[in-house]
Formats: sequence, C-alpha cells, structure tokens
Amino acid sequence: MDARKTSREILLIIILSCLLGVAVNISLLRRFVAGEFRQSFIDEREYAGIRFISLAEAEDLFARKIQTGEGAVFIDSRSRQDFAAGHIPGALNVPVGELKNERKTPSGEALSAALSFPVDQVLVVYCEGGDCQTSVALATLIHERGFTDIRILSGGWEEWVAAGLPEEGSS
Amino acid sequence: MIRNRWLLLVFRLVVGGVFIWAGVLKVVDPLGFAQSIMNYQTFPRALAFIIALVLPWVEVIAGGLLIVGLFKRSSAVLISLMLIGFIGLVALALARGIDTSCGCFGSFSRRADLTLILTDLGLLYLALCVFFAKPK
Repeated sequence: MDARKTSREILLIIILSCLLGVAVNISLLRRFVAGEFRQSFIDEREYAGIRFISLAEAEDLFARKIQTGEGAVFIDSRSRQDFAAGHIPGALNVPVGELKNERKTPSGEALSAALSFPVDQVLVVYCEGGDCQTSVALATLIHERGFTDIRILSGGWEEWVAAGLPEEGSS
Repeated sequence: MIRNRWLLLVFRLVVGGVFIWAGVLKVVDPLGFAQSIMNYQTFPRALAFIIALVLPWVEVIAGGLLIVGLFKRSSAVLISLMLIGFIGLVALALARGIDTSCGCFGSFSRRADLTLILTDLGLLYLALCVFFAKPK
C-alpha cells in the first residue's frame, strides 16, 4: 500500500511539473512547434549574430580567403588531438573542453587573446560533425564577447572531409 | 538506518536546497538547459526540449516538498531516481569520451566528470537515508 501511495505522490509531482513547465514556457513551445530550434537551442533573438551555414557557403568563404588572404576566420572547437590530426587550413584551434568556467578563469582570458580580431570579423566555427555541439557552445561564448557575425558550419569537419576539401595536419 | 531526526532534517535541507537551486537556475534558462542536454548526444531534440521544460520543475517541487516535509518519502524517491539518471548520463558521457559541462547548475555548471558522479552519489546517499529513515 505504501508503494502505491508513493507512486501516486510521485505521479502528482510529475503532472504538476508538466503543467508548470508547459504553462511557463508556452511561447517557447509554440516556437519549437513552428520549427525554430531545429539546429540548436540558441535563441535567435538573444544571439542574433549567430547563424548556421551549409558546406557550400563555408567552401565559398574558404575559397575567398585563399584567393584574397582576407575574409572569414575558421575556428575549430575540437580537442587539440583532433585538431592536430587534421583541420581546415588556416583554422584556429579553441578547444571548448579546455574552457572551464569561461568568464572567470585564465582559460577565458586565453579565449579573448585567441580572438584578437575586430568584432565584425566573420568567424566560421566548426566541430566534429553529426551530433557534435561544441561549435554551438563556442559560438555563444564568442558572441558574448561582442562578435557580431559568427557562422556555424552545420556538417562540421566530417562533412568537410567527406567532400574532399583541403586539409591541413598530420593525417 | 539513521534515526536522529535533526540529522535527517539536515539531510533534507541539503538535498532539497541543492535541488531547488539547480532547478531554479534551469527554470530561468530552459533553452540553455536544452542545449546542455543536447551536448550529451544521447537524446533526440524534441525529447531534450521536453525534458528541459519539465525536469527543472520536478527538481524545484521535489526539493521544496522534501524540505517542508510534505510527501517526504516520495520526494526522496523521486530525487534518488533523478540522481541515478544523472549519474548514468555522466558515466555514459565519460565512457563515450564526451567532454561537456554538466548543465546541472545553469551557467554555474561544472565539467561532467568523475567528481560530479561522486557528488551525486553523496546526494543519493542522503536522499536514500531520508527515504529509509524511521525517526525516533
């Protein structure tokens, strides 16, 4: 009987939580149903400077950089090991895994030092690909430092390699 | 089995307080929490979104009830189940080599690592003590 009472009370707490969760976030739910947050849970209103780009757009930005020496800066959010094994030529490595408590520690300062560009510099951030999320995490950190044009390569490194695009590194 | 009611009250305050704090930080930033869940690369997007909307409230309500002493044992069970889930999720992430923030305390979150598992195990012990307790 005690188990039944416990189950009932747990169910009550869960139902109440569902009601509150839906009631408080009804506008977010509507936006989700409308198709927002398909690529990440970044709030486009809060992070207006971040957008996702396709491989074709990244390739175009890369080609322009090779031809003119100017344009987008590519930033690789993967680990140092992964970066050493192969990366987009000219990319910077900012491993998200090393950025502990980004706003307050020396590693946070290291991020600022790595981003010694004007805030309107076009930055293309990428991670491994597939379900990887470190590019999104890094993009939001960069955005918080005032950068206004951050593009996330949706398919990441995997898509870049699969397309046979230029690589730099030991592999 | 712990019978000292004052010690059990301390346990309830600690576990309930941690869960209220963790829950409130997530309630105010559901998208940030949803992204943290996605970082574990375990749940589909829609499920991660639903969890992000509901789980923080479960934490707040269960934590609050544990402290005030209403539905005390049920709250302790629910909190224990959540902790077991968190431990499993972090262990799975570690086994898969996923290096991410735990997402457990909003922007105050720490790395999902072995020390986090040990912390959760400590909280689990306290919650189970409350559940199995028969105060004098």
